[in-house]
Amino acid sequence: MKKSNPLTDMSKGWDLAEAIAEADRCLLCHDAPCSTGCPGGTDPGQFISKLKFRNVTGAIRTIKQNNILGGACGVLCPTAQLCERECSAVGLPGGPIQIGQIQRALVEHAWAIGFNPLEKGARRKEKIAIVGSGPAGLSCAAELAQAGFRVTVFEAKAKAGGVLRYGVPAYRFAPKFLDRELKDLDALGVVFKCSTPIQGKGAAEKLLKKGFAAVFLAPGLWEPIRLKGSTPSLPGLFTATEFLCALRDGKQSQLARSVKGKRVAVIGGGSVAVDSAESAFKLGASDVYVIYRRSYTQMPAEDDEKQDLLQAGIHFLLLNQPVGYRTGARGRLRAVQLVRTELGDKDASGRRRPIEVPDSQWELPVDVVIEAIGTKPVVGAEEGYPSVKRTKGGLITANPKTGATSVKKIYAGGDIVRGPALIIEAVKDGKTAAKAILKQLKK
Amino acid sequence: MAKPIDLSVDFCGFKLINPFMLSSSPVSNSAEMVERAFEAGWAGVAYKTIVSDRLPIIHPSPRMNGYFGSGKQLVGVQNVEQTSDRGLKANLLDIMYLKKHWPDRLVMSSIMGFSNQEWADLSKASEDAGADMLEVNVSCPHMTVEGSGAKVGQVQDLVQKFTETCRNSCSLPIVAKMTPNITDITVPAVYAKKGGADGIAAINSVAGLSGVDIDNCVPNPNVFGKGAASGFTGPAIKPIGLRYVAELAQCRELGLPISGIGGIETWVDALEYLLLGSTTIQVTTGIIHYGQQIVGSMIEGLSDYMALKGISRVKDLVGKALPNLHETHDFDLKRQGIAQYDLDRCIGCGQCYTVCKDAGGWALDWDAQNRRPVLDEKKCLSCMVCSFACPVEGLITFKEMPSTYRRADTVTLGEGLEKQLKAKC
Repeated sequence: MKKSNPLTDMSKGWDLAEAIAEADRCLLCHDAPCSTGCPGGTDPGQFISKLKFRNVTGAIRTIKQNNILGGACGVLCPTAQLCERECSAVGLPGGPIQIGQIQRALVEHAWAIGFNPLEKGARRKEKIAIVGSGPAGLSCAAELAQAGFRVTVFEAKAKAGGVLRYGVPAYRFAPKFLDRELKDLDALGVVFKCSTPIQGKGAAEKLLKKGFAAVFLAPGLWEPIRLKGSTPSLPGLFTATEFLCALRDGKQSQLARSVKGKRVAVIGGGSVAVDSAESAFKLGASDVYVIYRRSYTQMPAEDDEKQDLLQAGIHFLLLNQPVGYRTGARGRLRAVQLVRTELGDKDASGRRRPIEVPDSQWELPVDVVIEAIGTKPVVGAEEGYPSVKRTKGGLITANPKTGATSVKKIYAGGDIVRGPALIIEAVKDGKTAAKAILKQLKK
Repeated sequence: MAKPIDLSVDFCGFKLINPFMLSSSPVSNSAEMVERAFEAGWAGVAYKTIVSDRLPIIHPSPRMNGYFGSGKQLVGVQNVEQTSDRGLKANLLDIMYLKKHWPDRLVMSSIMGFSNQEWADLSKASEDAGADMLEVNVSCPHMTVEGSGAKVGQVQDLVQKFTETCRNSCSLPIVAKMTPNITDITVPAVYAKKGGADGIAAINSVAGLSGVDIDNCVPNPNVFGKGAASGFTGPAIKPIGLRYVAELAQCRELGLPISGIGGIETWVDALEYLLLGSTTIQVTTGIIHYGQQIVGSMIEGLSDYMALKGISRVKDLVGKALPNLHETHDFDLKRQGIAQYDLDRCIGCGQCYTVCKDAGGWALDWDAQNRRPVLDEKKCLSCMVCSFACPVEGLITFKEMPSTYRRADTVTLGEGLEKQLKAKC
């Protein structure tokens, strides 16, 4: 048997029998509350009921027709905060039905038996361009392909998937799994043009002139936000984007060399910080610190993720604000400079605001720092869509009901509109825009 | 000081240490197996049915098919198990061994003859081997030997004749094991009594089909492309077993002790059989599913129940529910009730609402905001289907209403069509 690699191997999902056993616990609620808990319109009440009555193929159809990324979402969705939180069985022994696991199992089962409930729609002549192959782009593409349009997805990176491929570590979401789910889009006739960035003067807007009837912009946020005063390149200093991408690009051994046996500090409190810390730990770091300026409960990462880190032995350095780095010989990173904080009143995010404690600066000696404090639109991206209205921070302004931007026939969705958001929210945006595009082209 | 609990029972003159026995089946196939069961606490065995060596017994393959409820819960088993396929000598030696080493346990020799003479020979051989009792198997529903098993049990004259033959061939107490695949089980039982039976065992398996393979259209178990109706057992048949046992116990003409069989897995199941008139009970499918060790909880559970109820002898439980068993026309229809809801414990799943609309009296409304059912007491049929659907144990219970309570009529949608009605109302 192949030895499992903790850095690349995703945990195994349930088989059909396990999924059925779980579905058998479902209470078949009237007006199923689980089905109201998903921003992407997932209907677990429907597919679990189908599974409970052994309508396995029907259950798969319910999932995939709503969400082309049903498999990915089954693996990656924070279900405990969404559908599962609404489950009526929350208070019963056994707890809520594990909806994410069932969904993943059904999608994997569909692949195993070669069942694909999705069909290309009656062929239409219009071509649609999708910019970006993350969850928003893929979802929009699938929806439009099913409506019969000729859909082309332009992707700047070497392979399709966006955050699903380059934003999460492989042990959380395996590239193989993604590749299989992408095949469901191939089957719909979606054309992928990878390593094809749509950039430069008005490039996205020009697509309309090149014969595309509509354009959906979903390039995501790929520019790391840097710590104030941070030096862009310092030996031992990474952004989470660089770090996680490198892990994906097979540069593991290279990364391992710079991390193994070293003290690593990860700055940030979200899921990306968690992934970075966990990856560094798996690469063999001697100590991993998660540095966060607020306290434990304010961290945006999911509870189970945080607990996993604590269990693994990763240190949480809370109520500390990094303010700079100290370097030593040959510019090597020696320490992260910190100021202690305390919590004040709530800020706009509804969380208590960190306030720096005067004269509390200190240093944590480290060899490697990974900055995981968020991402923003790639610098210069806006040149591709100069006429499209944007916020100060560079996010595209789109109508939440239609995805329409200020420019006719150009739509947008996903993180480039929302800022960092859930995968399922991006999926929703893709579908919303697809519906609007369909409506536009019916006229 | 609590009275000591005595689980022992007298059955056809044999004193068993408790009422729990293995039935004649794969679970009592050899002394090796039965001895292990005795060690676990079983008080007796109806040893796997023995036959003469004249006709070879060959088992179909595969022998069984599981019938599952929700999840992997086995609610029944269909089998095409035959009588013992071991040689007669091996079985008789095993019976001798068991009696030699386990004198306090009941060893009942289950026999099946394929001719009148064979019934005689097997009775005599069983007695010679030291068996305490005979069980006359005239009830197996799926013998591959034509004209045997339940085919005999459905013909009352043959039941009497073969029981008589056994009676005249040995001095052992005789228990006749009845088939449920008949309209009135008391008829052959009375004929068995006429033939000299001292007790009745019931029920043998119910002829059934546990399923069809939807890929190749062969009923299960699939014996190389062929399926057949055969003996179905387990929890799914318990209601049938209880009914037949109660009918046998209530039959004045019969008046024989009963060994109850059918879907027993727990002490509660066993107790229900006792309360409806069984003196002992026999188990197979429960062991097929969970193993012999289930007897431990049967012994402990029944003992504690008796202690809590202040009942010291099993005898006092036998038939205790029979005075409360009536015909449906005896019910007091003046007294009516409704389902009552303990909404403080409600988790808001709304299944009660769904089933009341789809199968009940339309007595529930749905408060969507709070996700709670709203009961209109006047419309409740007291069918109680809502309580079956409710996942919270005891949330929905039956409550008697005062004599002034009047149930509302079901709404008639066709009022305006009255003129078109041809029948006179």
